Amino acid sequence: MAVPVQYYLVLSAAIFCIGLFGILTRRNALMFLMSVELMLNAANINFVAFSFQHGNLTGQVFSLFTMALAAAEVAVGIGIVLVLYRNFADVDVTKATTLRW
Amino acid sequence: MAAEGGIFTFAPAIAVLPFVSFLIALSAGRYMPKKGAFAGIAATGGSLLLSLLMVAQVASGHAHHMELYTWVGGEGVPFELTFGILLDQLSTLMLVIVSTIAFLVHVFSLGYMNDEGEPGLPRYYAELGLFTASMLAFVFSDNILMAFMFFELVGLCSYLLIGFWFRRSGPPSAAKKAFLVTRFGDYFFLIGVVGIFATFGTGMFGGPGVEESFPVLAEEAMSAMAAGEAMPEAVTTFFGLSPGAWFGVLGLLVLGGVMGKSAQFPFHTWLPDAMEGPTPVSALIHAATMVAAGVYLVARMYGFYALLPTLLAIIAFVGGFTALFAATMGVVKDEIKQVLAYSTISQYGYIMLGLGGGGYVAGVFHLTTHAFFKALLFLGAGSVIIAMHHNEDMWEMGGLKDRMPVTYYAFLSGSLALAGIVPFSGFWSKDEVLYETLVHGLGGSPILLGAYLMGIVAVFFTGFYTFRMVLLTFHGDPRSDLAEDPEPVRWNVKIPLAILGTLAAVVGVINLVPVHAVVGAVPEFLHDWLFHGPETLNGAHYEELTEQFAGYSAGAIPGLGGLGTLFASAGVSLAVALAGSALALGLYRGPDPAEHTEKLGALKTVLYNNYYQDEYQVWLAQDLTEGTVAGTAKRFDDGVVDGLVNRVSDVSLVSGYFLRRVQTGIVSNYAALITLGLVVLLVAFGIMGGWFGGVFA
Amino acid sequence: MMIEALIGLCLLGAGVVMFTPDRYAAKVAFGWSLLPLALSGLMLLNFDGTGNALLGGTLAFEEQFTWITLGPYDLSWHVGLDGISMPLVALSTLLTSLAILSAWTPITKRQNQFYGLVLLLEASLVGVFAALDFFLYFVFWEAVLIPMYFLVGIWGGARRKYAAIKFFVYTNIASLVLFIGFFGLVFGLGDSISSLDLPEIAQALRAGELGSLAGGLIGPELLALSAFVAMFIGFGVKVPIVPFHTWLPDAHVEAPTPISVLLAGVLLKMGTYALLRFNFTMLPEVARSLAVPIAALAVISVIYGALLALGQSDLKRVVAYSSVSSMGYVILGLVAYTSYGLGGATFQMVSHGLISGLMFACVGVIYNVTHTREIGDMAGIAERMPLTVGAFVAGAFAYAGLPLMAGFAAEFFIFVGAFQSTVIAGNGMAVMTALAMFGIVIVAGYLLWAMQRSLFGPFEFDGDYDVTRAARHDVVPLVVLIIVIIALGTFPDDTFFRMITDAVGPLVDGGPAEAAIGSGGGSS
Repeated sequence: MAVPVQYYLVLSAAIFCIGLFGILTRRNALMFLMSVELMLNAANINFVAFSFQHGNLTGQVFSLFTMALAAAEVAVGIGIVLVLYRNFADVDVTKATTLRW
Repeated sequence: MAAEGGIFTFAPAIAVLPFVSFLIALSAGRYMPKKGAFAGIAATGGSLLLSLLMVAQVASGHAHHMELYTWVGGEGVPFELTFGILLDQLSTLMLVIVSTIAFLVHVFSLGYMNDEGEPGLPRYYAELGLFTASMLAFVFSDNILMAFMFFELVGLCSYLLIGFWFRRSGPPSAAKKAFLVTRFGDYFFLIGVVGIFATFGTGMFGGPGVEESFPVLAEEAMSAMAAGEAMPEAVTTFFGLSPGAWFGVLGLLVLGGVMGKSAQFPFHTWLPDAMEGPTPVSALIHAATMVAAGVYLVARMYGFYALLPTLLAIIAFVGGFTALFAATMGVVKDEIKQVLAYSTISQYGYIMLGLGGGGYVAGVFHLTTHAFFKALLFLGAGSVIIAMHHNEDMWEMGGLKDRMPVTYYAFLSGSLALAGIVPFSGFWSKDEVLYETLVHGLGGSPILLGAYLMGIVAVFFTGFYTFRMVLLTFHGDPRSDLAEDPEPVRWNVKIPLAILGTLAAVVGVINLVPVHAVVGAVPEFLHDWLFHGPETLNGAHYEELTEQFAGYSAGAIPGLGGLGTLFASAGVSLAVALAGSALALGLYRGPDPAEHTEKLGALKTVLYNNYYQDEYQVWLAQDLTEGTVAGTAKRFDDGVVDGLVNRVSDVSLVSGYFLRRVQTGIVSNYAALITLGLVVLLVAFGIMGGWFGGVFA
Repeated sequence: MMIEALIGLCLLGAGVVMFTPDRYAAKVAFGWSLLPLALSGLMLLNFDGTGNALLGGTLAFEEQFTWITLGPYDLSWHVGLDGISMPLVALSTLLTSLAILSAWTPITKRQNQFYGLVLLLEASLVGVFAALDFFLYFVFWEAVLIPMYFLVGIWGGARRKYAAIKFFVYTNIASLVLFIGFFGLVFGLGDSISSLDLPEIAQALRAGELGSLAGGLIGPELLALSAFVAMFIGFGVKVPIVPFHTWLPDAHVEAPTPISVLLAGVLLKMGTYALLRFNFTMLPEVARSLAVPIAALAVISVIYGALLALGQSDLKRVVAYSSVSSMGYVILGLVAYTSYGLGGATFQMVSHGLISGLMFACVGVIYNVTHTREIGDMAGIAERMPLTVGAFVAGAFAYAGLPLMAGFAAEFFIFVGAFQSTVIAGNGMAVMTALAMFGIVIVAGYLLWAMQRSLFGPFEFDGDYDVTRAARHDVVPLVVLIIVIIALGTFPDDTFFRMITDAVGPLVDGGPAEAAIGSGGGSS
């Protein structure tokens, strides 16, 4: 009946890797943001899975925090994307390279 | 000591008075009549009076030493450095000479500077006052450090006075040269002073009430060594040298300062240039202050030099050589002050010769007579220069004899003294210098005979250039409009000339050695005076020392005996002087004398250029030190040392330039780097933690 | 509370002046700076310290209380003065007042900030000389850099940024080196100290409590040696000792003149003071064993610095390089370990502070009028500005060691002390001294040369400015300095020297090879 915790971990690792892959390959800022969300949620799965495993609610509470944080992050992130678009007429992150030496 | 002072309590005032006149002239001179000259005259007059009082007091058998104040002392230091006054026969005599000449120079300056309407007179009188004060303080110094300090101040004042006319380009340059050349000598002197303190722990010259003095300690050390005993506790020699050798080194170092100030070869080059200063200053410098300071120092610490035969021989040779060397250069000069400059160098050579030759009294005697006749000659030249509207070329003069008789007769008196013609003062003293050297040379120190020979040859040249100068200046027909109608000089020029003219003629009576030898009733004042100085500071003691340590003893020309040698020596020097004078008379007599220097051929060029002494010294100072060495140092510093610093900063800049390339500004690259870093970290932790089952272990 | 009051007065003054309108800033700053000056004069009169501050002497105006406890170490507010630091505090306050006065003419922009920073600098300088706890000391040491950086960087000449950054980076790296060196000692002392109090550390080190570091890898001797070298380099940069001197001419030339006065007059003394306090007091055995290289560096500094000065054509650079030369004498005096040597070195710190301050002030006054410092651009200006040129001549001769001025006294003490020193076998110090003394010839050479070309001769000037007399407030500092220099040179004992020899005495006696007169080498 009970799904072994390893399955959750594999799922979480897979989602994390998908997110990472997205970050490394995508150029669209929105896709970036979505990839970051994926990675955060991979972490959430881990939290919940271990919480379930240990019979301890702390992990679940933490995942709630993470969700709130993710929501805030998306708000800020989309704001940045908007500004990016306003300044560069594009949402391609590789084009906005003026903030360097 | 100060308690029994009496009149000695006022001794410091001898130097303080001119110093006060310096302050007055500096601060209020411009508001005063004659721009501060009267303050200077009053002060030097006061010094003269006090000096005479001191002489009287010392003559009554009271040499005096007093401590003024402690410069450095206390528990914290191994030995004290103090200021004090030593009034003995030598220093009081010198005080009288210096203050007399300073007084006359001040009076003369009224005519030379005030009447000519020079600007900057308060400065002039201030500097003159400081100059006199420094020299007087130098003379009565009771220790070598104080002597050095005032010695340097004398150098400063001569710098200021030589460069008095700073608006021209010549005087500042000459002043700089004078200071630098003498400073070069003083460098050695200062090492000597430091060495004396390190060796003996005291720099005292000696005198009544002085417990430890370095000449006495040196003497004790030498005696102890000779007797095979241990050295006195207080004496430390350096570098493992024997006392004799180490004291010789110290003596040589001090001699460096002496040779610099007294313009002895090869440090003589500053002196002819110093003629750029006002003529009264030249008189002061040459007769009584700057140049006299050097030889006075040798006389002051004669108890030290008398222990060291090598040093005495060096002094004698330097003196003899300088006397001859400078005299030959004086032969071809065209300007009156130049001739006098070279004669000064030459005459100080004689004084050195006398001191080195064991003639302490002779040296001091010549110092005294020279002070008077050289001051006279310079003031006379100054009078001529006033008359000639500051034209100094003797070929433009001529015939001034009838137009300025006071100057002429005074000048003639000085010239006869300079040339060494009997009975003028210079004859007696120069003769005694040569005689002392001769007898000591004959009596077991044959090396002195070489110095004597140079001295006697120089007598010929001295006679020659002196009368060449007199004839060209005063005799014959006027050779220019200026000489035709010279500007008259006033009392303030004539009175000093008259006084000095008389003195130059008669001051020889203080030590008529040949006369005394025949007529015992005629006393040798100076000899007796100096022989009755305080213990360890008198001529008798010095004579013992030279005999004991330097092996000086009086010999005689074989077959003539003592008296015969005395008269033979006097006769020879007089004959040579007359020969030189006669040659000048022969060549430059007549209304319109010709320049005979052409006959010298290539020699003339060499003499005109002063044996190229200036050239190599300027080359050393300017081209080598300032140009090459300093230039190289600057390039090395800018290029290598600072270059290295800048290269270090360049390296960090360049590495930053390359490292910042990592910051592409592309977010994906940063993400990739972060991922990569994480992976690397994980792997590293894994290996460290043994996750891979010891695969890498 | 005197020292706290002194520092507090300066800080308060800095605050007040910062908010004074530009118009009044100069006068308010000068007036205010007279307060610390008067206070330090009062302290000088009431000075009652004896002995050496680090070696158990009685300190004047001492205050100590624990400030922070950091691990095993107590960091305390510990200040006090002995015969070494008292003259330097007096020097700092005097020169600050005079520097402010000499800034009236050249500083025209952002005056309130300028004078505020100068007073801030004064506070830090007093702190450096008074601090007796390493933490406190280091705070003040670094605090000096901040106002200095801005003073050079904002009010400086054309290349001021280069100079300011060079100065800052150079001295900061040096601070790092000395910090590492000092903490090597602190860790090496281990449990034998419980605070960073300098007297405690010094006494522990002299008692031979130094242990090993890195598990015995670095033994006490090696640790002492490397700490000595690190601190020598760190402090040597500030002195500056050749070859760490190249920041100095740049900083001097670019700094506004009043700042050059303070830089040469006081900041350089921080280096020599620290060398005396740390290297030569705490590690005397190492210093003696390194006497040959240290004395050689001193001689090189003297001669090489003087030659560099000879090679310059900018008056300010001439004076700047001559500071390198003069500070070499201080090192020579320190390494001699005799009372005349150490005392002379300390006296030279004060005397050079006054003399170089005077020279820079003179150059500044000339620059105010001519707007050039190149020797070739002017000639004969003595005619137009006699007082300033007179002061210049006096300063030059003071620099050249004219007797009865402070420079001669200091140099003579150093020479006598070094000559009789036995720290190098076979009277090696006598040779070193004789070599170093040649500096007095070169120094006279370049100063007289510069004077002859720029001040004397027929008047010539390539520039559009009207060369005329300097303002009275420009000349006052010169006159004051000359008077002080002559007073110090004529009465060294009655001013500072007795105080100084009292304070350096324990250093002489404590060493293994006592270098008193009569115990020198040579034949017997």
